[in-house]
Amino acid sequence: MHALVCIKEVLDPEITPAQFRVNAQTRKAEVPGAALVTSIFDINALETALKLRDAAGAGTVTVLSLGARSAETILRKALGCSANAAVLLSDEAFAELDPAGVATVIAAAVKKLERDGKPVDVVMTGRQAADFEHGQTGGLLAEALGWPCLTFISKVKPMPGGLEARREIEDGHLLIHAKTPLVLTITNDETNQPRLPKVRDVMMANRAKIPVWGCAELDLDGAKLAPRVRASSLAVAQRDSHCEVVEGESAQAKAVALADRLRELKIV
Amino acid sequence: MKTLIVARGGAEFAARKMILAVRHRGDTPAVLFFGTAEAAGELRDCGSGEIATWDGKALATSPGEAGVAVLERFAREYQPELILFAADSSGREWAPRLAWRLGAGLITECTGWSTGADGKLAFERPVYGGKATATFVSETALSIAVVQAGTLEAPETAAESSAPVRVLDYAIATDPAWPVVAERVVESGTGPSLQDARIVVAGGRGVGGAENFKLLEQLAQTVDAALGASRAAVDEGWVPPSWQVGQTGKSVRADLYFAIGISGASQHIAGLAAAKNVVAINTNGDAPIFNVARLGIVGDYKEVLPPLMGRLKEMLGK
Repeated sequence: MHALVCIKEVLDPEITPAQFRVNAQTRKAEVPGAALVTSIFDINALETALKLRDAAGAGTVTVLSLGARSAETILRKALGCSANAAVLLSDEAFAELDPAGVATVIAAAVKKLERDGKPVDVVMTGRQAADFEHGQTGGLLAEALGWPCLTFISKVKPMPGGLEARREIEDGHLLIHAKTPLVLTITNDETNQPRLPKVRDVMMANRAKIPVWGCAELDLDGAKLAPRVRASSLAVAQRDSHCEVVEGESAQAKAVALADRLRELKIV
Repeated sequence: MKTLIVARGGAEFAARKMILAVRHRGDTPAVLFFGTAEAAGELRDCGSGEIATWDGKALATSPGEAGVAVLERFAREYQPELILFAADSSGREWAPRLAWRLGAGLITECTGWSTGADGKLAFERPVYGGKATATFVSETALSIAVVQAGTLEAPETAAESSAPVRVLDYAIATDPAWPVVAERVVESGTGPSLQDARIVVAGGRGVGGAENFKLLEQLAQTVDAALGASRAAVDEGWVPPSWQVGQTGKSVRADLYFAIGISGASQHIAGLAAAKNVVAINTNGDAPIFNVARLGIVGDYKEVLPPLMGRLKEMLGK
């Protein structure tokens, strides 16, 4: 099975609200010196794909990133975690894409892989990215390809002709049998946490050649990627703290005082 | 503005909140309801417009594909300018796919919207894990929004309507390529559901282990609360993913939210926007959770919870 995992380079989400700044003109976060990392649910997606490959005992995991040239770093990191191949989608025409534009470009890459004799069986994306958190790429991409889509998947097992996926829903979960090809969006659980890369894989990853595909390679007309939605403003969220810290001689005294305050305030 | 609200059985709170929010803006929304006509009819108590329902078998076996097929057909007939979905597992799955099919601009996780001077719809939403807020403008004739219903500005009630309820007779042919639900597992919590609970007891990394959640369960039983967790506790495997609260989990609208051993990452706090009173119990007094808490204790929850439960039991006569 050939799994294609879409990973995105984002500003480190661990940056605290106190450090966080935005550029109101470009409508992007701007935190000098902050690290760029792989969006966390994309790491869960990568781990899910690697586990699926290893459970099947065969198959290929290709990682793809759409972004700036700097995204090569997160692709190498994924190769270091034993992904088999990587490709970077980068072009000036991709600078201001909306989610539908992103899906259009990735769909073109899936079609190119097919033309190149490497057809994709399953695409995995994180459920949402850690920056703009649209949570749209998977569903839009499935439609662009004409494939089914399953969202909020936490576990995947190989099955003849497809796979079994566990979908997390409000009051429990669904076990779903799906034929390939299809698109999955991945959510976190305890089984898809990032692995530690092996030294040998990291060394190989650093030497790997990562192709860069733009409009020309993807046979895309950049003018047709006009956004349907655009950000018109971005501002740091305002927060006012009014926390009343309950004091006391001991944990016991604090606990009793807290219960009493809850009653006084008519909260319980 | 001709508005269509997508709702489903079991998520009536979100449906009512969306209807009230649209009415608050001076419009009467139509509703497409996935569920029984009887359940749908009850939404008229908050002044909905006409209601269409669909409850075909394929909704249970292939909810994603069947739902999108029904949505596409109905939307092409009804021709709305704005479609609203609730930010739950169905809405988040259906909206992007419908948006593609209809060529609509889509904005997710919205907390509000308005029409600008240029006549275009502008939607507010949190981004960067709640550290920033953004406005997105839709450039298309049809806009679709997935909304965090609990945060919408809306009156509590509206006059009942007598709008008609129409059962759609769409025969949706299932495709052999569609994924099929083989098993549905309901995690049988004994208490109230997390999204609707009046009181929530939630734990994070600071709880320290799966076993330790028993103490939180006891507190939850004492005050008839639902249990929740931060992403860190889910990633550790201490609690199931259905407990996860935050931008990447469930949004709660509790009157009282106990955050125990939760440091308060922005993405967690984003799920608390509609919670009225947050109580933080944490050994680290500098934890960001105290910035959103109304009351807090700096201390070890293992020492705090037993006497807290004792006092609450006295008060509640338990």
